Amino acid sequence: MKKRMFVFLLVAAAAIFATQAHAQVILIANPSVKASDVAKSDLRDVFTGSASSLKDGSHVNPVLLKQGAAHEEFLSAYIGKNDTAFRATWRSLVFSGQASMPKTLDSEAAMVAFVAANPGAIGYVSKATPHEGVRVLSVR
Amino acid sequence: MNRFLVGAVALALGAVSAAAQSLDDLNIQIHGYATQGFLYTTQNNVFSTNSSNGSPAWDEAVMNVTAQPTDKLRIGVQARYFLLGTFGNSITLDWAAGDYKFNDKFGVRFGKVKTPMGLLNETQDIDPSYIWSLLPQNVYDILSRNSFLAHYGGVVYGSVKAPNSPVKIEYRLFGGQIIESSTDPNIELGQQSSGIALPNGWTGPMWGATLQVKPTPGLLIGASDQVFVTNWTAVATHGSEAGTNGTPPSQNYYYFAKYEKNKYMVAGEYFRQPYSYWYNFPTDPALDSTGRLDQRAWYAMASYKLTDKLTVGAYDTQAFDHQQAFGPSRYNKDWTFSGRYDFNQFLYAKAEQHFIDGAFVDYDTSMNPNGVKPSTKLTILKMGVSF
Repeated sequence: MKKRMFVFLLVAAAAIFATQAHAQVILIANPSVKASDVAKSDLRDVFTGSASSLKDGSHVNPVLLKQGAAHEEFLSAYIGKNDTAFRATWRSLVFSGQASMPKTLDSEAAMVAFVAANPGAIGYVSKATPHEGVRVLSVR
Repeated sequence: MNRFLVGAVALALGAVSAAAQSLDDLNIQIHGYATQGFLYTTQNNVFSTNSSNGSPAWDEAVMNVTAQPTDKLRIGVQARYFLLGTFGNSITLDWAAGDYKFNDKFGVRFGKVKTPMGLLNETQDIDPSYIWSLLPQNVYDILSRNSFLAHYGGVVYGSVKAPNSPVKIEYRLFGGQIIESSTDPNIELGQQSSGIALPNGWTGPMWGATLQVKPTPGLLIGASDQVFVTNWTAVATHGSEAGTNGTPPSQNYYYFAKYEKNKYMVAGEYFRQPYSYWYNFPTDPALDSTGRLDQRAWYAMASYKLTDKLTVGAYDTQAFDHQQAFGPSRYNKDWTFSGRYDFNQFLYAKAEQHFIDGAFVDYDTSMNPNGVKPSTKLTILKMGVSF
């Protein structure tokens, strides 16, 4: 009985930490994007070059961070690839003439500023990063 | 027609440049990559290299410039330098295209464009995008890339998602003219072995379609069909005789599937290329000939990401020409084990070992004067940088 309780607590703790990890990065969009939420599959399509609009028809342009914890967490939580595999996906599109590389920024502050200023821009930052001027989208 | 299409793209690029307020409006990007490969074989020199003594004669460098003045319009051009043994050693136009995407369901691309056939045709020459040093040669022959990698013409593309369902269907329709393949090494090798040259290569119209279904995240199932005709454009010379060469309408078929989840990937593909060809020498009918190929090939591959930087993989591929007589020239089998290490997002290295049985593909008889052995081992080392 004690053993089962211990295992249950371990699993619960793991689930809580896993949820916490996803909650550390938020999706931000320019106010021109009308959607308030986005499906995980649609988000993955947009950020891997398979789609350029959300389900409500909003045209969106993905914006990336060059590196960092928020970038790694976003890829892990919503794209299912690490940075190397993710960039290989975009390279195959760029070098075969199917797409241009998304705008890539050095810092989360630059990300917020760019998304706020560019219609259709959609990106991601840490939850703790100030993000005035952009909309926060939930992911379902 | 080819120069017209490329020129139209160049004019469009210039017109857009003139109209833009600033370079930022154009979203101009420059990207490139370069690779250096090393080949060693235990027997049989491959790809026109002196690989049995170790050969570094495998270089590639690519650069592209693209502009995207609006969300829907993109224009670009890519040049490539390629050297493999005695082939290539020149800079060629890889693609030059204008692309207008009306929406996710419908877009068009025209110019010199990559041909969207099979699982990997569009990306088979993009070394940074996959783990392998050499793709399964039975399906993606490095010496036939000039003929099948790209075409002059267009592609219509789009995707449709079923409502309230994860199922996604992607389509590609393509058509135009096969690139003149006088510089295609495999064409040259084939003619060499039959004592015939095609000084103007061969070309002709082609068209086809690819359909991909993604029933669930990570899974892709697809098929391609390409029809090509080359029955009036080539000139063959046999000693002092002049003639013509061609093929009636012929088809390439591809059936493929791929699944990716987290750290691993598995994929497989079946390819069939049945076609007939003929040679006609009006001044010496004794030289006339007809022939038929029926190549059937497949591969199965898998890879696994051991760490963030290290990926390993393996594939098995086999090909048979059912029109050939029994013996090593009728088949080609290749077991391959591969690894890729990414030092950072720019620099990578690859190592690969092939165990090859059969002589159906890729052997230059002039580089193997003592005859082609029925089996060989091929070791490849490669470095690459991309930006």
